[in-house]
Amino acid sequence: MKLETLIHDINSKCSSLKDAAKLLPDATAPEYKELLALMVRQARALAEELAAFERKP
Amino acid sequence: MEKLSILVVEDDPLARKVMAVQLKDHAVDFASDAASGRKLLESGHHALCFLDLQLGDKDEASGMELIPLACAKGVYSVVMSGHDAEAMVERAYELGCDDFYSKGNEASNVGSVIARYLNKKEGAKSDVFAERFVTEDAETRAAVKEALKYAPSELPILILGPSGSGKTNLARVLHDHSGRPGAFVAINCAAYTEDLLEAELFGYKKGAFTGANDNHKGKLLAADRGTLFLDEIGSMSLKMQTKLLKAIEERSFHPLGSERAETSRFRVISATLEDIQSLIKAGKMRFDFFQRIHGLTVELKALARRKGDILPLIAALARGGKRLAFTPEAKQRLLAHDWPGNVREVKRFVSLLAAGEDGRVGPEAVDRLLRTVRAEHGATGGFVGEEQYRYALENGLTAAVDRFSDEIIRRNLDDHGGKKTATLADLKISTRLLYAALARLRGERSEP
Repeated sequence: MKLETLIHDINSKCSSLKDAAKLLPDATAPEYKELLALMVRQARALAEELAAFERKP
Repeated sequence: MEKLSILVVEDDPLARKVMAVQLKDHAVDFASDAASGRKLLESGHHALCFLDLQLGDKDEASGMELIPLACAKGVYSVVMSGHDAEAMVERAYELGCDDFYSKGNEASNVGSVIARYLNKKEGAKSDVFAERFVTEDAETRAAVKEALKYAPSELPILILGPSGSGKTNLARVLHDHSGRPGAFVAINCAAYTEDLLEAELFGYKKGAFTGANDNHKGKLLAADRGTLFLDEIGSMSLKMQTKLLKAIEERSFHPLGSERAETSRFRVISATLEDIQSLIKAGKMRFDFFQRIHGLTVELKALARRKGDILPLIAALARGGKRLAFTPEAKQRLLAHDWPGNVREVKRFVSLLAAGEDGRVGPEAVDRLLRTVRAEHGATGGFVGEEQYRYALENGLTAAVDRFSDEIIRRNLDDHGGKKTATLADLKISTRLLYAALARLRGERSEP
């Protein structure tokens, strides 16, 4: 993976996480649950991507 | 707001969810890759499409492939990107996309995009100059067009122009083209004393002052997500400017007598007939306040300087009522008149005409109605107001002329910080006249 792609992904994914976090206070209970689940998935995907980049020779 | 048919092509499930919430008032289709996005776009029933720049892992800008198809289908295409590298932005616009934004703060991004789309759509279907702001004057058209470009933005707009030249009307047109869901709330700052203006703008709680028998919602709160139109801004005191400046900057304020701060996301449009630079020089307008209200300045000319607008304006104002036909002599009279009350005077003229005249209007009728309108406006000749006229009747013409020149000299001296040489040059007056005025202003007798 290129560093440029990584930067793009970090920007995109963090933007979604920040926007989703802003929705939490007004979310209904099911929506709250769904948003949190998606956020966890997003954060994990980002962590995995960073780890993969770190492992890159 | 109008319910729109929207397509979102986005591979990130969390971003799709965020968009679903932001666009909940519209009919939205989602696609998670370019192929399904293409299929949905082919159906051609979407008004707008939001395209993620990078779909999947393959190409850096795979979302751009869909822009030509969106264009061909007449869909307003918006590219959303995690980074806004100049080359990408340029390429997207070259391909024909209508809008491009960097991801982050989607609540604001999506709202602005929809406002720009609606503005474009409105602009395409209606001619502002035929219906909302009638003018044939090239300079005025250019100024209004420029202002309309910024209608959907948060940029504050300052409208300058003489009384009756259409400042309030233009402010309303700009609000209607802004796509802002809130109300258009207007206040004439010159119509209130400082205390009353504060109460009107900020609102108050019951018992905040004598006579505050109920809670009162102020104009700032009423304009939440809408437009606050501050007319005659030049008459606002420095103290009020300071308070309003803080509310504009922080989007938050305390109603009188309230411990709790209210928030309001209003956009400011202001207007004045005064010379703003002179107000600043004379210390009557704070420079930081001026900076806050003049993102874009639009100057409207007096009707006397755009005479080509007189007949189209009369025709537009008479629309829907009695069909009027002016004789060539009547037209000449209309064009020769200076219309000191500007559009407001034309409106009154047309309403009198429609109420009491035959369809065919001759020069006598025009002369008679213009006299009536001028008397109603309290202007005997456009330059002399009713107050000055009464003063002259009570105190004699010489006293009235002295008072008039004294006021002008005093104001000009204020503008120049008391520098007499500057005032002598500006007003082209003799030293003797200047000193006579100063003596009168000090309450002394002038020397013979």
